[in-house]
Amino acid sequence: MTKTLTVEGDVNTADTRTGLTAQGSVTAPSMKVPEGVSKIDKIIAAVAHDAAADGSAVWILRLGGSAVQKGEQVIVLAAGGCIAVQAGSDRAPSVCQTFVLEDVDIDVIPDIITVDAEMDGSDLGDSTIIVTLIFA
Amino acid sequence: MTKQYRTREGEATAVDTKTQLTTLGSQTAPGPLLVPMGVTKLMEMIAAAMANWAAANDCAGLIRLEGPGLPKGPEVIAAGAFGNSVATGGNAAAPAKKIPLDVDVTPGNEILIFGEMVGEDIGQVSFGVTLVFA
Repeated sequence: MTKTLTVEGDVNTADTRTGLTAQGSVTAPSMKVPEGVSKIDKIIAAVAHDAAADGSAVWILRLGGSAVQKGEQVIVLAAGGCIAVQAGSDRAPSVCQTFVLEDVDIDVIPDIITVDAEMDGSDLGDSTIIVTLIFA
Repeated sequence: MTKQYRTREGEATAVDTKTQLTTLGSQTAPGPLLVPMGVTKLMEMIAAAMANWAAANDCAGLIRLEGPGLPKGPEVIAAGAFGNSVATGGNAAAPAKKIPLDVDVTPGNEILIFGEMVGEDIGQVSFGVTLVFA
C-alpha cells in the first residue's frame, strides 16, 4: 500500500531550520504518518531559489518527530549558486530538477512526523522547497 | 536492516585545498560524525555541490572520506564539475545524486568528510554530503 504526504514552504534565511507545514491551498495538512505503513520508501523533492543574493548553498531535509523511530534523519537535497550580473543585465532563471530518492528505508510508526528544511551556506535570497514522502 | 542518514555541509573557498565539512546549517557544531551502532556498511553517499561562479574558470569537486570509522582506509569520490566564461550572471541549481557504495565501517568511530575544489579556482563551492549506513 502506498500513501503519500506532500508539504512545502519558503526557506528564506540561511542556516535556519524551517518547518515545511503547508500544502498550497491546504494550509495545515495532517502530519500524521498513515496507519498501516512502516517505512518511508521514497522521497521526492524540488528546490528553487530567486538568486537575490550572491553565493553558493546546499539545501537539506530534516525528518523527525515521534514517528521517526531511529531519531532525526538528515538528507541533502540540492545545491545552488549565483553571482551578480553586469550592470543593466538580467540574470537567467535556474531550474533545479526534481530529486527522487528511492529505497529510503526509514522506519516510521503512525505518529506525528516533522519535515524541516534549511538553506545552508550562503544566503541566496528566497527559496521554495517541496517534499513528498512516499510511505510503504 | 533499515538505513540511517548522517549529513554534513560546508564551503571550499580555495582551490586544491582539503576542507573539512563540519557543520549542519543551524547546527554549527554538530560534533563528530560517528558511525551508528549496529551497522556494518556505508551503503550510499548522497551528494550535492554547486559553485558561486565568482571567477571565469572551471573546476571539479570531490569528496574525501577519512577516519577510524573506515577500517580499510580513505575513499575519494567525484562530486560534480563547474565552469563559466565570465564572472557575472552565473545562476544554477542541481539536485543531489545518490552514489551506491559498499564500504566497510566500524560502529562508534568517526568518519571525517572533506570537500575540495580542484582544477581552477571558481570562487567557492558548497558541498552537502549525506552518508547512508545500514
